[in-house]
Amino acid sequence: MSLVVGVDIGNSTTEACAADVGADGEVTYLSAALGRTTGVKGTVANVPGVVEVVVRALKAAGRDPAGVRAVLVNEATPVISGLAMETITETVITESTMIGHNPDTPGGVGLGVGTTVAFADLPDRAPGDAVICVAGADADFEDVAAGINAAVTRGVRVTGAVVQADDATLIANRLREPVPVVDEVTLVHRVPLGMPAAVEVAEQGRTIRTLSNSYGIATVFGLDPEQTRMIAPVARALVGNRSAVVVRTPSGDVTGRRIPAGILTLIGERTKRSVEVDAGAKEIMETWRRVRPLADADGEPGTHVGGMLARVRDTMADLTAMPRDAVRIQDVLAVDTFVPQRVTGGLAGEFALENAVALAAMVRTSRGPMELLADRLREALGTDVLIGGVEADMALLGALTTPGTAKPMAILDLGGGSTDAAVTDEGADEGAQVRSVHLAGAGDLVTSLIDSELGLDDTDLAEEIKKFPLAKAESFFHIRMEDGTVRFFDEALPAEAFARVVVLTDAGMRPIRTGHGVERIRQVRRSAKQRVFVTNALRALEQVAPGGDIRRIGFVVVLGGAALDFEIPDMIAEAVSEFGIVSGTGNVRGSEGPRNAVATGLVAGHASAHAASTAVRCG
Amino acid sequence: MADGMRSDGVEDAGGAAGIRPGTAVRTRPEVVVLRRPDPRNRHCLRELGAGMEEEGVPFRVEDVAADGSAVELAFAAAQVSHLDVGVGVDALGNVCVHHSKLPPGAPALTGTASGARVMGHNAARLVVGIPFKAAGARFRDASAPLDE
Repeated sequence: MSLVVGVDIGNSTTEACAADVGADGEVTYLSAALGRTTGVKGTVANVPGVVEVVVRALKAAGRDPAGVRAVLVNEATPVISGLAMETITETVITESTMIGHNPDTPGGVGLGVGTTVAFADLPDRAPGDAVICVAGADADFEDVAAGINAAVTRGVRVTGAVVQADDATLIANRLREPVPVVDEVTLVHRVPLGMPAAVEVAEQGRTIRTLSNSYGIATVFGLDPEQTRMIAPVARALVGNRSAVVVRTPSGDVTGRRIPAGILTLIGERTKRSVEVDAGAKEIMETWRRVRPLADADGEPGTHVGGMLARVRDTMADLTAMPRDAVRIQDVLAVDTFVPQRVTGGLAGEFALENAVALAAMVRTSRGPMELLADRLREALGTDVLIGGVEADMALLGALTTPGTAKPMAILDLGGGSTDAAVTDEGADEGAQVRSVHLAGAGDLVTSLIDSELGLDDTDLAEEIKKFPLAKAESFFHIRMEDGTVRFFDEALPAEAFARVVVLTDAGMRPIRTGHGVERIRQVRRSAKQRVFVTNALRALEQVAPGGDIRRIGFVVVLGGAALDFEIPDMIAEAVSEFGIVSGTGNVRGSEGPRNAVATGLVAGHASAHAASTAVRCG
Repeated sequence: MADGMRSDGVEDAGGAAGIRPGTAVRTRPEVVVLRRPDPRNRHCLRELGAGMEEEGVPFRVEDVAADGSAVELAFAAAQVSHLDVGVGVDALGNVCVHHSKLPPGAPALTGTASGARVMGHNAARLVVGIPFKAAGARFRDASAPLDE
């Protein structure tokens, strides 16, 4: 019997598996351990992390480190991945044509049309004038209401008001003849004065009818067909609001603009094609399909995409001491997304959902400084260190210890920076043909999509939204989970969580300070996972499957950090179910779940090689 | 319990109401504001009312003779409110928003006279069930653990 420890250095975690190996190749697994990878995978910076998990695994097994015969390390190859996001549309309001921020509590109900006039100038207006009063936050709500009432008494027709402070209801309640009032207009001093304008507020629970309709605006301002065509985007921008203001300025407009985002060049082994990033993810992936297998990619200098690809290349060149030109981008994944962006020229902080393209790229080398790493480990551990086998082969060997699996089998390793897949045919251990593929786009891209689509600007929170379920704090003592069930608390919940959507993390409840409801956040989260993991799972299986036919793979075992996610394995199982194959989350050695596959595979591979050599010697 | 009740169901608030629950009678669905009558908190009360009115939540103000902190007044007010939400204002204009189901010593929000408008908004939001406005109010200890 000899004691060996298999160690898998992954992108984010390092795992160990301690086992006794008999002369006949019989393996007795003793323990497993897991820790954080120190430094970039496959570099000498990994040593402290490896030492730690080896020590922990041996401690868990109750064995003396001095008794270790060999530490088996996988052929860890550095993977560098990069992300970039390009916003490709922009909404611009010129000449302050409209206000469409939809405040919580507008005042009054109805439609008012008149000429915009500053509150201070109200006493100067002649009786009979139809005006819209514009008031800043320095005017108190009682003064504004009194001023409007006085003007109305003189015969001035005040038909609506636009105010800066949050007091529309207060003003409307104090008017003798209530008019629609839109409040919380932050840049109220930029509302053009002396211009025809319309203010509309709908009843509670309803949306505006006139200003969200092009012909409604045409009727209000008496527009001709050409002018109506010009104003149509304003109406479209106001659809769904409870309140709105439209100001008729000489050439005011709301425009949607496409932002040129640079060119991405995909270089295949046989052909090379360029694609405009602002054409969208579908077009980019279509181009990828035409040139694949990808040999390299390049982005237009001076654009986000160009910058990101250059960064990935530089980091890898530094790590492996390869010349920069020799680093090749091996895969790209483009995903359509949208970003809430402040509308240029808006007066009240209006947001519009702009289209964007997210791009992930990946580089992997086969030339990590493994010998150097092994030397350093030998010094640090004082035992023999063997570099054993290609990572994909070892992962397959480990995954095969999952109860109920058999060859031909494929593994899907869903990590943080890349999605890896490998498939083995029915051949015996040594003769088995293994094909593997490494794709860009995994957990980090999902986090980044959640972050930008919800407008969080907080990667940690986005990461938590990705990993944990949501709930809404409905009172101080209960929350409603996203599946509709209710959970009660003895202690009152914090006030900052009240009525908010919260993420139920391991460390406690974390409120999400946005206006999004549970349903919306859940939908963004699930759709981000679909767009990245399901897309990549199918893309990966398609590339490794014999003849590109996923049906010819018997079993699919899902491994890696994302396999522990509460919904990703189900999504993948659902997506591959149509191919009539068995798919599920791995359970390495029947006990480790989707973890420890490579470490276990290293031990298993070592044992069978050991047995073979023993058999040769005996024979 | 029926002492001081008027025919329309509104409790006589002529300065006789104590701050103990039970002496006031549950009537309309309103946020109840209990305050120490004092010229120093008049402006605070106006702002508080403005905040609740803007949110569209009904409220009534009652003067109390008995001495008490803003927190005690707010808790007593919450007990008599049909909406379970009470506001207490002390002589200086310190404001507290309380919920009848919270422990007496752990109010939902506390603040000073300068933040009265936002406190009014938040008292109303506690009724309506929408997240609080942030400015001007100090949150209660936010680090309460998730575990029951």
